[in-house]
Amino acid sequence: MNAAMTAVIEARGLKKSYGATSAVDSVSFAIQPGRIVGLIGPNGAGKTTLFKAILGLTQFDGDLRVLGRDPRSERNELMQDVCFIADVAVLPRWLRVSQALDFVEGVHPRFDRSRATDFLQKTDIKLASRVRELSKGMVTQLHLALILAIDARLLVLDEPTLGLDLLFRRQFYDTLLNDYFDKQRTIVLTTHQVEEIENLLTDVIFINRGHVVLDSSVDALSDRYVQLTVSSEHAVRARELKPFYEREVFGRVAMFFEGQTAAELGKLANGLGEMRTPSVADLFVAKMQRGVS
Amino acid sequence: MSTPETNLSGADVAPVTAGPVNAVAHRSAVQTMIVLIRREFWEHRALWMAPLVIAVLLVVCAFPVHMGPIAHVNAEEGFWSSDSNRRALFALMQWGLTVPQYIVMAIVLNFYLLDCLYVERKDRSILFWKSMPVSDAATVASKLLTALVVVPLGVYLLTVVTNLLFSAIWVARTSWGAGGVPMWDTVVWLKVEALMLYGVIVSMFWYAPLAAYLILVSAWARRSVFLWATLPPVFAILVERLAFGTRYVTGLIEYRTVGIWHAVDLEHSIEHTMTQGHNHIVSLTGVFDKLDVSLPFLNIDLWLGLAVAAGFVFAAARIRRYRDDT
Repeated sequence: MNAAMTAVIEARGLKKSYGATSAVDSVSFAIQPGRIVGLIGPNGAGKTTLFKAILGLTQFDGDLRVLGRDPRSERNELMQDVCFIADVAVLPRWLRVSQALDFVEGVHPRFDRSRATDFLQKTDIKLASRVRELSKGMVTQLHLALILAIDARLLVLDEPTLGLDLLFRRQFYDTLLNDYFDKQRTIVLTTHQVEEIENLLTDVIFINRGHVVLDSSVDALSDRYVQLTVSSEHAVRARELKPFYEREVFGRVAMFFEGQTAAELGKLANGLGEMRTPSVADLFVAKMQRGVS
Repeated sequence: MSTPETNLSGADVAPVTAGPVNAVAHRSAVQTMIVLIRREFWEHRALWMAPLVIAVLLVVCAFPVHMGPIAHVNAEEGFWSSDSNRRALFALMQWGLTVPQYIVMAIVLNFYLLDCLYVERKDRSILFWKSMPVSDAATVASKLLTALVVVPLGVYLLTVVTNLLFSAIWVARTSWGAGGVPMWDTVVWLKVEALMLYGVIVSMFWYAPLAAYLILVSAWARRSVFLWATLPPVFAILVERLAFGTRYVTGLIEYRTVGIWHAVDLEHSIEHTMTQGHNHIVSLTGVFDKLDVSLPFLNIDLWLGLAVAAGFVFAAARIRRYRDDT
């Protein structure tokens, strides 16, 4: 009950289908405050549908509470406390930077204009420029400057760095962490560039074909997943320990085990190879390759 | 990539307080609406540029316009020596000068209304607008207010200024001996301007369903908004004509576009024209004097139209709220 009261997002039996195809099928999860949650899945997994449901941009069946509100019926109130970037490049091309500031300042009670201008001063963006005159990276910086100057409790980002070069992507996530994130805020982001964000996530939710495949804090992953890397001559023996997924890397075999800690597995697999907690990216591949559990 | 220094993933996550709620500046509905309407003028610059360009052109025309017609007018001593006829001509010119401005405004507004909820879906900027705490109803209302109230009143003021400048130039030219009849009559001027303002206000009410229809098409059509706005009526007219041989749709469209001016009973007023011999000229001041201001507002169709407009606007807001194909 306590969790239900404090969860920033709580979904129970969330469903959405487009015609005969089910985009999200009976999904349940809860996201606690002060977390940075990665909503990770391959294309067409249902990420965007989930994202739209959370933001009240689409209709759905089932129960979903965002900051205690139903995004279907209380969207207007919800948007006071929730910010999102749906995609890079949705800022209209005719908009001037100064107009963007005027607009958000005019309609958003929690917008701090000086924060946004401070951020913009660190970039090459000029106030008189129109969005169409800016590079793709600069448009993202502008969007970020606008959104991060809003004192919101929940920030939802859908593929925020798509199409940006590495430099901008780094800068984006650094800004997000250093200038924005604190324990009263929650960030949910979807991406399929898992490697780049795995260090900043506190929680991961894997989603595939409309189902939640994994829902865990990053810290707890080590209690449930082990990666055992063995040379090919030990592969047969290691296979007897029943990994749920394996793949070959440079003549060695990486095996993924579920439901046991490294210590537990170590007793069985003594000396067979190296054990470690799999990276989020590797775990993602392992989980996706195996399909729906 | 840097990680936060604090132990984010640890168990010591702070309990949720009321959220990062600082003293929040209040945004009233009126303030928000003003910002939304300003936004429309940023995006659709034709809304103010086109009327302004026409106004400038008209004022410029006051300089080189050949005084021939006036000289000719002058020659017909008998007709134009009459003060009342000269005043009627002055009033008509005053009216005539506004015609291009209102025609341009009508064209610009039609395209604006068709575009206003369509372009944001096409360029996907709707995802940015919807990330702001602005309701769909407020957004749609801001567009309707822009088209039905703000732009018409703005253009009205512009026609007043245009008229004053034009008249000033003309009076100056004639009095410096360019020939023709120096024309200025404050009473006539005020009456004609009042008449025009009245026309603008009646239009706001009468054309509300038309504007709301265009907004609805703009919110609904996936592409080719212009065709979606024009083809269904044309189709309905043709089908009706072929199937039943009747013309009710044509009649309805005519009524909803120009019908209100019959309700104002202009014909009745226009009978009071200045005539002398073969020449005759409509007296706008006569129209003003005879005007029954309440007539269009006593017409139940005006209010029915408003109810239909409200329905269209509601539908447009619902569509914007729930459609998710961007």
